[in-house]
Amino acid sequence: MAIRVPLDTTVEAARAEHRRGWMTVALAFCRRRSLGAAGAVVVLLMIAVGLTATLIAPYDPLAVDFGGMLARPSADHWLGTDAFGRDVLSRLIYGSRTALMVGFGAAFFGATAGAILGVGSAYFGGRVDLYLQRLMDVFISFPLIILALAMVAILGNSLPNVITAITIPMIPRCALVIRSSALSIRDMPYVDAARTSGFGHARIILRHMLPNVMAPYLIMLTAFLGQAILLEASLSFLGLGVQEPVAAWGLMLRGAAVDFAETAPWMAIFPGLAISLAVFAFNLFGDSLRDALDPRLRVL
Amino acid sequence: MFPTLLGVAVLTFVLLRIVPGDVVEARYVAAGQGQFFSKELLAQERAKLGLDKPLWRQFVDWMWGIVRLDLGTSMWTGAPITQEIKLRFALSLQVAIMASIVATLLAIPLGIVAALKQDTWVDYAVRVFSIAGLATPSFWLGILMILGFLIIFRWLPPMVYTPFWVDPWQNLAQLIWPALAVGYRYSAVATRMTRSTMLEVLREDYIRTARAKGLWEQLILKRHALKNAILPVVTVIGLEFAFLLGGLVVTEQVFNLNGLGLLFVEAIARRDYTLTQALVLLVSSAFIVVNFLMDVMYAWLDPRIRYR
Repeated sequence: MAIRVPLDTTVEAARAEHRRGWMTVALAFCRRRSLGAAGAVVVLLMIAVGLTATLIAPYDPLAVDFGGMLARPSADHWLGTDAFGRDVLSRLIYGSRTALMVGFGAAFFGATAGAILGVGSAYFGGRVDLYLQRLMDVFISFPLIILALAMVAILGNSLPNVITAITIPMIPRCALVIRSSALSIRDMPYVDAARTSGFGHARIILRHMLPNVMAPYLIMLTAFLGQAILLEASLSFLGLGVQEPVAAWGLMLRGAAVDFAETAPWMAIFPGLAISLAVFAFNLFGDSLRDALDPRLRVL
Repeated sequence: MFPTLLGVAVLTFVLLRIVPGDVVEARYVAAGQGQFFSKELLAQERAKLGLDKPLWRQFVDWMWGIVRLDLGTSMWTGAPITQEIKLRFALSLQVAIMASIVATLLAIPLGIVAALKQDTWVDYAVRVFSIAGLATPSFWLGILMILGFLIIFRWLPPMVYTPFWVDPWQNLAQLIWPALAVGYRYSAVATRMTRSTMLEVLREDYIRTARAKGLWEQLILKRHALKNAILPVVTVIGLEFAFLLGGLVVTEQVFNLNGLGLLFVEAIARRDYTLTQALVLLVSSAFIVVNFLMDVMYAWLDPRIRYR
């Protein structure tokens, strides 16, 4: 993951854009990157759906109706019902809350902790940097899902715990990328100037260095959003994420959805579509944001 | 390399012991029969497994075993871990290799085409295809495949694993589907990488020179562009391969494959310390070794890189 940040241009451009106000920037983004804008629209829609779930969901997502089990999609139940007679559409709508909370929670905490560690590591250098990097290497040599699984096993599977479990494997991945951006900033004259002015470490890191790794930070944050949602779905699919009867997309694909796949395919199709669409939208948006902010940054 | 592995070993060891409960509890108490077993019996069981020793002693014993290439025995089944892992490793390795082949075959041509036709509909189609690959959970793709077979062909892939050397067709009929489902997702990263490195390389001066001297376009692409663009792609494919060994957890569940991933989930659920440790160490050493091989390959593929 080699990163070369054309620093002055990015900073200058960012300053210029800042002056123009965020509405103009948003409009320019939409015009130039229509795919990304489409992604952003879907994301906004999803957030709206998640926020208004109580108003727009036609049924209670937990209401069991043994008379109407495995009902086909119809005017009453647009997307059919599941093996407990629960309305699939309502469960999808409520599931978006789980997905969004995990997605935004894990991505925000993961990217932020990663950024602080990365910048700190680059700033202090020497021993601190070496030890932190070794520690990160250790964490990175676990596959994402395995570390998340282990974390869930330790913490238990309530929603905040699932968020933490997904956050932890993301931290070192972000720290690695941010560190290499921060390394080039450390030797900038303004950091030297801040140091000679006698500012403390915390102030230099927070006020002088962090704002200048905003571009890679935002890119990692958006890249993590989709990944976190996917990871949450995988965990709940394995039965190790949030537990029934909470509505979660991965959970809806589990068990009965596979057993009754032949007779009630809607149970297996729609939650998967929801996951794919959400992650797709987040990725489209994240990709365009990366192209706009820093096309050379590679996010794996 | 070795410090990282040691770090992985320590971390796994510690993490596992933070997880509440141990194998004895998982076997007797969690099964709802806790009241039938006296504390003495549980303590005896623990002593038999060496769980009564101090932690540092357990760790040293484990490490000493590793040094002698002895992974020990599973705490749950009592069978040697090498024996537990052997067949499942063959299965996971085969799926990982097949998925890598699928990914390479998809990624490199698509990436090149997208780079050559940058900003045309071909490019957009490839990008949407690859972003969709990243977005689609491979377990759902697996469910859809099985669903499709059932509804359209009234056929299901074989659900029992046959080793390749016993019946190659039966074996492939089962494993090609998970390989496709995982390979598609995995090709997405590699496609994007191929595209972006190709775009970078195609802007280099030497490509312009080659074109200016009237070189055959195919030759330019193969010998001048691709050769220089392929390095990061090789890295991505290699690293992903290492992760696939352990990262198939979810897909294996869908296709009912008894691979390393499933074993891992079971081992964690049963608090089988020795087995979990062995599996984690196996996957992370695969990752670290592949990482190392990548570095070696870099120097071989790109003579400009020299390690001191």
